[in-house]
Amino acid sequence: MSNVENILAHPVRETVVPAPRPKITAEGAGVRFGSVTAVEDFTTTIREREFVSIIGPSGCGKSTMLYAIAGFLKTTSGVLKVDGEPIVKPGPNRGIVFQEFVLFPWRTVLRNITLGPEIAGLPRAEAEERARKWIRLTGLGGFEDAYPATLSGGMKQRVAIARALTCEPDILLLDEPFGALDVQTKNYVMKDLQDLWIAASKTILMVTHSVQEATLMADRVLILGARPSRIVADVKIDLPHPRDPADPRLGQYRQEVTAILSAEVDRSMKIERSR
Amino acid sequence: MTMETAAAPRRARPFALPMALVRPVVSLGLLFGLWEIAARTGTISAFLFPPPTAILASLWVSAGPNGDPPFGTLLDIALSLYRLLAGVGLALVLGSLIGLAIGLTRWGRAIFKPIISAIMPIPTLAWTPILLLVFGIDNRTTITVVFIAASFEIIYNVVTGIEMMTRKTYWVAASMGASRIQTLRYVIVPGILPYLITGLKLGVGYAWRALIAAEMLAASSHGLGFMIYDAQEYMDMKSIYGGILTISVLGLLIERGVVGALEKRTIEKWGVNVER
Ligand SMILES: Nc1ncnc2c1ncn2[C@@H]1O[C@H](COP(=O)(O)OP(=O)(O)OP(=O)(O)O)[C@@H](O)[C@H]1O
Ligand SMILES: [Mg+2]
Repeated sequence: MSNVENILAHPVRETVVPAPRPKITAEGAGVRFGSVTAVEDFTTTIREREFVSIIGPSGCGKSTMLYAIAGFLKTTSGVLKVDGEPIVKPGPNRGIVFQEFVLFPWRTVLRNITLGPEIAGLPRAEAEERARKWIRLTGLGGFEDAYPATLSGGMKQRVAIARALTCEPDILLLDEPFGALDVQTKNYVMKDLQDLWIAASKTILMVTHSVQEATLMADRVLILGARPSRIVADVKIDLPHPRDPADPRLGQYRQEVTAILSAEVDRSMKIERSR
Repeated sequence: MTMETAAAPRRARPFALPMALVRPVVSLGLLFGLWEIAARTGTISAFLFPPPTAILASLWVSAGPNGDPPFGTLLDIALSLYRLLAGVGLALVLGSLIGLAIGLTRWGRAIFKPIISAIMPIPTLAWTPILLLVFGIDNRTTITVVFIAASFEIIYNVVTGIEMMTRKTYWVAASMGASRIQTLRYVIVPGILPYLITGLKLGVGYAWRALIAAEMLAASSHGLGFMIYDAQEYMDMKSIYGGILTISVLGLLIERGVVGALEKRTIEKWGVNVER
């Protein structure tokens, strides 16, 4: 806590940074699966070192959009760029963390985390050195030789985050990263992710269902509408990091986002029923 | 938390292990004991069912320097194991490759799936007459039978292993910048290993049974199957039972010992479940 208070007392660093460059640009980006249009029109600019959260009704295409940015899925309309270049395939400049962790069960924690550098052709010693840094920062110290099957959900998600960060991506893409965690664990991992973001200066794009998660962590919350979806609101959370969950101003933002989201969920349920 | 869960099974083990040994010893001991008494007292025919001690004694002689031929049983064991090893080794290599082709490529599926579906219902032994005509009484005949018997389970399990892998697993590798070869090496091969071992375990079981049977058909070529077949000609009941006993013990050792050790190093160590 003292660390948090310390940083809260000196929020100077934030204000002197010049306006960052655009990192991800989407202009009318859409994804269609056969006759199903998952995302209709996704238009936004995400700047370097921004923490942006995507929230929206279930099935509105949040994951689809995230996977398109990761390069796993192709957009079927519009333009989607990273660093001004159209996205054609996945790459180590975009790290991914899934709700289901997707660890490699045959590799120890350390080996899971070193796989990225190993694939990049780094010698083992160097790969391990890189991994150690993130193992320390994600609080995985002492678990290096454990196999994923022996870890708790929170630990698994830390491994997934450390594994993504060890590839040293510019952008971290998170798909409901706390969805599989219990509340206590979630709060810990969430806090760690905030600290990591401050320490690592990455661009983070996080899909979530939780208004509380989104408002606590993100600079901006993009609210997607019911399918076929587009961004219905772009709410800037104008509070310094790290944030205190008890901050009353945060409560106001939560209400604002919840109001817009509820309207969209209502609309999506009506569409579902009328079918 | 993880420390506690890890310690619990270890504490239970000193009690669990002897029980696992005691139970089969008691049940088999009872069976053989009753058999021994029944044969000795003449309740059952001592010719058709020689007492177990006599079977062991005859086995001891035929495996030793005074056997006919000297060390004959050892030679039979060595030959059977050689054929098993060669056939299973071949099945492991070719089966894995075919499994990978079916699981990963469209052409592999198009070519191999119909062929396998057509061959699968045929009992492996049905191939023996053809193989005998092609290869003659030769190790190649029995090795091929072993190969066929072991292949299907290996192929089937490799394909299942690939199907069980989610697309997200590939995505993680892709977002690390993995090439196709790297994905194969770092993700697919280790990912299917538990399935390959399960396939191997089942395949070896089938192969061992098929081998013994094939050795009986493709006679005069040594091996444990031939040993039984040959003993029947001379109505040497003790050798027949000796052969059967050896087959059972070796089969158990291969399945539990060799494949079991592989499982310990992979499936158990990783804590993964193989779903079939
Ligand atoms: N591979 C696919 N083929 C066909 N339809 C798909 C495919 N993937 C997703 N969809 C459809 O696209 C829509 C958006 O799916 P997506 O998973 O992106 O939603 P989401 O917002 O992430 O939902 P949730 O909040 O439940 O995770 C859904 O209607 C889904 O059924
Ligand atoms: Mg989703």
